[in-house]
Amino acid sequence: MFLRWVTAAYLVYLVVPIALLLVGSFGELWLNTLLPTGSTTQWYVDVAKDPSFRRAFVASLAVVAITCTACVLIGLPLAYALFQTESRRLRALVRVLYQLPVALPPLVLAFGFILVFSSDTLPWLGSIWLLAAGHIVLTLPYFLQAVVADMQRLGLRVLEDAAESLGSSGRQRFMHIVLPALRHSILAGLIIVAALSIGEFQFSNLVAGFLNRTYPVVLLQAFYGATGFACAATVILLTLALVAAVGGALAAGGATRMKAAAA
Amino acid sequence: MTSLTMPAVALERVSYHYPGTQAGVTDITLAIAPGELVVCLGPSGCGKTTLLRLIAGFVKPDSGLIRFNGEDVSRLSTRARKCGVVFQAYALFPHMRVWENVAYPLRVRGVEPAERRWRVSDMLKLVDLTELADRLPTQLSGGQQQRVALARALVFDPRALLLDEPLSALDAATRAAMRDEIRRIQRAQNIATLLITHDQDEALSLADRIVLLREGRLAQTGSPRELYDGPKNEFVAGFIGRANLLDAKVIDAQTVDTPIGRLRTPPHGRVAGSALRVMVRPERIEVVSAAKGENVFAAQVLRDRFFGATRQVEVAAGNGRLEIETAMRDDVANVRVPRDAIQFLNAP
Repeated sequence: MFLRWVTAAYLVYLVVPIALLLVGSFGELWLNTLLPTGSTTQWYVDVAKDPSFRRAFVASLAVVAITCTACVLIGLPLAYALFQTESRRLRALVRVLYQLPVALPPLVLAFGFILVFSSDTLPWLGSIWLLAAGHIVLTLPYFLQAVVADMQRLGLRVLEDAAESLGSSGRQRFMHIVLPALRHSILAGLIIVAALSIGEFQFSNLVAGFLNRTYPVVLLQAFYGATGFACAATVILLTLALVAAVGGALAAGGATRMKAAAA
Repeated sequence: MTSLTMPAVALERVSYHYPGTQAGVTDITLAIAPGELVVCLGPSGCGKTTLLRLIAGFVKPDSGLIRFNGEDVSRLSTRARKCGVVFQAYALFPHMRVWENVAYPLRVRGVEPAERRWRVSDMLKLVDLTELADRLPTQLSGGQQQRVALARALVFDPRALLLDEPLSALDAATRAAMRDEIRRIQRAQNIATLLITHDQDEALSLADRIVLLREGRLAQTGSPRELYDGPKNEFVAGFIGRANLLDAKVIDAQTVDTPIGRLRTPPHGRVAGSALRVMVRPERIEVVSAAKGENVFAAQVLRDRFFGATRQVEVAAGNGRLEIETAMRDDVANVRVPRDAIQFLNAP
């Protein structure tokens, strides 16, 4: 009974702010009352018409796409190499290294980026690619964690031994066994990566240039204006995060299946 | 050597140690004839699995040669060796259906789909899984998974079949049935087979020949009967079956003194006064009613365990103890150690 109450209380705590945002985004006027008065969809139209929000929306999508792709391209081989490393000590060391960004505040990374990339030799501060590069560093640990844990759970090494004894080459093993067996954890990893990347604020706020601000960075501005506008803009971010997570995962899953089928 | 007598698999003085450790196998010489089922038996950590991995090619010997039909394969890759391997936890590919798992070795070899189909269906028939061809591994029982693993390991006509503790993950009832199943399939395919186990019952009931390993070395090789009836040392005697081991002092050519009393024995060829070890299997000791006779001792029951078909009784006799296995239900008052049940052992 106690557990149920705790769960219920937690769910309320989780859902109420989102519900309020939804209500607020359709409310005409919300000043000093508990709930807004009147209803309208005008706030959404306003957000959609706002050029800086439109630009940020596209920038965020681009950053997520690049981040997810890079996580698969870098993360998968890395996870595979890490898993295949015989030396326990090396494995532990690499694990500590790739988990570092989790402990590191994104601020620190951003300061590093600003120092390095505002120089004349590397003047890339403010570009989409640099934003994505930072997001990759921040999200890769979560992707690796999901995939490496799954490799251990599946006993991938034995599966590979089996495939090898059955006559499969290294490339065939990767395409026939490793990729398809890991498809669930690759999807799960990408959902986390997409969700983190969409919502990332600290790093993006410092590193994004004026032209390539991501959605959360622009969103901050909305809170200086009308409540309804801010709520609508936030609801859009929530939807975007959901869509990006599911869409990114589905796309990657489809690609994995196609690659496996083609091999 | 002619091809008739040439072993399908031969190890010549093979040694391998895992880098930086003492673990591994040392100086193993072993031959498996075509169609023969050799069981490699030993306690955990004795190097059984290493032996299998050496033959399969997952590890390469530090020294010595491995031959298949006379051909030196010591340096060949696992793929090139073409051994069918059944792993302890079966290692079925979780995302492939039963028939896809079995077809996999044919698929990577580029066998035509039509041929693939009939070879897979033949193999599924052999292991009696035709009905379950479209299942995923997770939808199968342990015994069924085991049979898929066997079919997959045999479908590409491997040069040898290697089974790593194939029954250890099964419950007792399935295990006994699967034991016969493995034997039947191995016979049907007439393939040189090495089966790894730590279970002596499995070894005794399955093997044409047993290879007993201890700390990476061959302890004894022979038929199940040879190992049970003629163990070379205490380790073999204790590992295969149960054994009463007694310290003995030689009195004359056919008499020794033991803690349980004076024993008349077969000729042992040792000089009077020397020490040796005597072994008697528990089931060879007889429960008798008469208190007199050769090698008859008064016994006092210390523990009596009833197993249905048999009874294990531990008794004190003289200053020693004996373990007895008997089908008799009577009280145990006197026991007889038949002279021909007595064996002499080297120290381990």
